[in-house]
Amino acid sequence: MPVDDSVTLRNTVAYVVAEAETAATDGPVELHFVDVATTRSVDPDAPEELSEATELLERVEVWVEEDLGEDPPTGISVETAVLGADRYLFSPGDYAEAILDYAADVGADRIVLDPEYSPGGATPMLRPLQLELTRDDIAVEEAPVERRTEATVLGRAASLPKYLTVFGASYLFYMLLSAWKPLDFLTGFFTATLVAVLLAPVAFSQQPSVFRVGKQLARMAVFVPYLLKEIAVANLQIAYVVLHPSLPIDPKIVELRAAVWGDAPVTTLANSITLTPGTLTVDVTDRAFDIHSLTAGSREDLFAGGLERAVRFVFYGREAAAIASPRERGDDGEGQDG
Amino acid sequence: MTPVEWGIVALALVGAFFGAVAALGIVRLPDVYTRAHAASKSDTLGAVLTVGAAALALQSDISTVKAVFLLTFMFLTNPTAAHAIARAAQDQGIEPWTLDDGEGET
Repeated sequence: MPVDDSVTLRNTVAYVVAEAETAATDGPVELHFVDVATTRSVDPDAPEELSEATELLERVEVWVEEDLGEDPPTGISVETAVLGADRYLFSPGDYAEAILDYAADVGADRIVLDPEYSPGGATPMLRPLQLELTRDDIAVEEAPVERRTEATVLGRAASLPKYLTVFGASYLFYMLLSAWKPLDFLTGFFTATLVAVLLAPVAFSQQPSVFRVGKQLARMAVFVPYLLKEIAVANLQIAYVVLHPSLPIDPKIVELRAAVWGDAPVTTLANSITLTPGTLTVDVTDRAFDIHSLTAGSREDLFAGGLERAVRFVFYGREAAAIASPRERGDDGEGQDG
Repeated sequence: MTPVEWGIVALALVGAFFGAVAALGIVRLPDVYTRAHAASKSDTLGAVLTVGAAALALQSDISTVKAVFLLTFMFLTNPTAAHAIARAAQDQGIEPWTLDDGEGET
């Protein structure tokens, strides 16, 4: 059973234990509880999420002992494991793969899912995950436990400022694209309401704050011209390389351990690297970027760290921009290609 | 011609130039990764400049705003697509072309 902190986790564990007790009359039963850790935004040197996962699993073990009671029936053993600490988990398919690999390793014949299982944060994941899991031969079921009330789910989903932000942004966008007729205000209102109701629960990873977003937008306004300049200069280099009769390229995949944290900054940096010609982000694991570079010159620019510094400036401010560049940190991508 | 018209012509021409560079790059470069470079960047710049020329030429408020949105989304989605293609290629185990591979040819 994959576990994650949820309102129905306790009941699901109870259900699993009850099932195990029934099955234990026919023979020994092994219970495996696994936490699929999402470490992509976590510094591997300070793996807080890993210790959170371990704590959660310890809690589950205590619950199991509690449910088995004073006189535990023989033949039930409990195992726990943290999965996926070494991979970049993104889609439900990635999660399913991690879970199925483990299930195959331990020879599990049944996977029980917590109805509120959502390891990907606010994104609902249970249905697609269930679908992915059933591709294998292992029986998959959703534990028939009672959910508290729908209201809890909605209440957790989004707060009023979130709804208002999403509503405002989509109304504004709708009006910008429309003809400003009176009817457009009405249809825009309904459309924006619909968008806000449907998408606000998945819109932000943190509570939007006018101050922080404003500050980031202001810094973004500094960043964009810089990025445009980089793009223009580098595009000319690419044009030169492509048009040169002897095609002077020296492509190579290098690894960059970037000093940025969190989903949005990592995404911004990855996209900026791809937009700056000569470098192309191939894969991102935690903060390690696999980057395909076209020429030696583009590698030079990459490890000089101008872009990385600029992204840090946008998201964290001036002090963070002063962190040493990748080269100064002793990372030059050598010996890590492939 | 007015300065604005000169600007439109210049943008369209430079955009077309980078579009041509992208096409040529796809033909000349040796493997999927290097081609993705040409397809994602020169192409983005070419398309963005051309749309920029269109935005200038339209001169009407709302169409220009729409063209600017188009520009922004191209800048956001093109590198994402290139990343997806490159990542898929890596998942498939396609080895990137290096100088050593090219030694025998030409």
